[in-house]
Amino acid sequence: MLIFSVFKTLTDQQVTVELKNDLSITGVLKSVDQFLNIRLDNIKVLDEARHPHMMAVKNCFIRGSVVRYVQLPSEHVDTQLLEDATRRESLAAVKR
Amino acid sequence: MESSSIQEPFDLIRLSLSERVFVKLRGDRELTGILHAYDGHMNLIMSDVEETIMIVDVVDGAPAGQPATVNVAKRKMDMLFVRGDGVILVSPPVTNIEPDCQYTFRQMYCL
Amino acid sequence: MDDTTPPPPPEEQTPPPPPPASHTGSPTDFLKGVVGKRVIVRLTSGVDYRGVLSCLDGYMNIALEQTEEHVNGVVTNRYGDAFIRGNNVLYISAAETI
Repeated sequence: MLIFSVFKTLTDQQVTVELKNDLSITGVLKSVDQFLNIRLDNIKVLDEARHPHMMAVKNCFIRGSVVRYVQLPSEHVDTQLLEDATRRESLAAVKR
Repeated sequence: MESSSIQEPFDLIRLSLSERVFVKLRGDRELTGILHAYDGHMNLIMSDVEETIMIVDVVDGAPAGQPATVNVAKRKMDMLFVRGDGVILVSPPVTNIEPDCQYTFRQMYCL
Repeated sequence: MDDTTPPPPPEEQTPPPPPPASHTGSPTDFLKGVVGKRVIVRLTSGVDYRGVLSCLDGYMNIALEQTEEHVNGVVTNRYGDAFIRGNNVLYISAAETI
């Protein structure tokens, strides 16, 4: 839930999603759900020469399970807040 | 009380928050970076990340487990979300363990 | 076919002898027994981790100490502490008497 919240705070920011098939897509994060499925707008594929079929695609929905990484804009991530929230969530998980 | 002595593996990760950690991933990838967040799936958020990708070329006839060449690709990323399903191992990246520093986790919990 | 009922099987079958004491107990009992002991954790990839088992959870997430990573019998890494995500675990083997 914590990471879902992080992604929600990053909506309308530019992110780069790297898929498990090595395809990297940069775009504006339009929405995210609890499975970390991602909707991107104004997308651009990093290596277009290798993925010419993607050139015409302007936006996409990415199933969360195929994501390897998401590169985030660090200026919009409060690391101290993240660490505190992570500690809080992990303690809550132990109490169950 | 018994439950107070039982610790979860995730405690190890919690103690690594805001520390530089080593992460081994599927697909012969490794990361080092500063850990800022994780969840029960082992989804991670890390900063100042260096990724190492091992590209192993095994030559025919070479003895088993002795690859002839290992090509390594490295790249850096500012702030990274890592999906948990690719994670194999997470460790504070202490490569040479000083004898004094051993057992730190056990000592912390007086195991 | 003969319509007389066959004789019942002999009833004095002896139950199988109880297994030796060291083999009793559930998998959970085994896991409780190896906490704090040296273990070998094999992953589905074939990589072995040898170290002292700090703790584990129901997903078989594992915390190890003084860990050595073995690939094809060669030590390829050492970790002071290591967390292993449970889905990668093939088995946990006791490397000392429990």
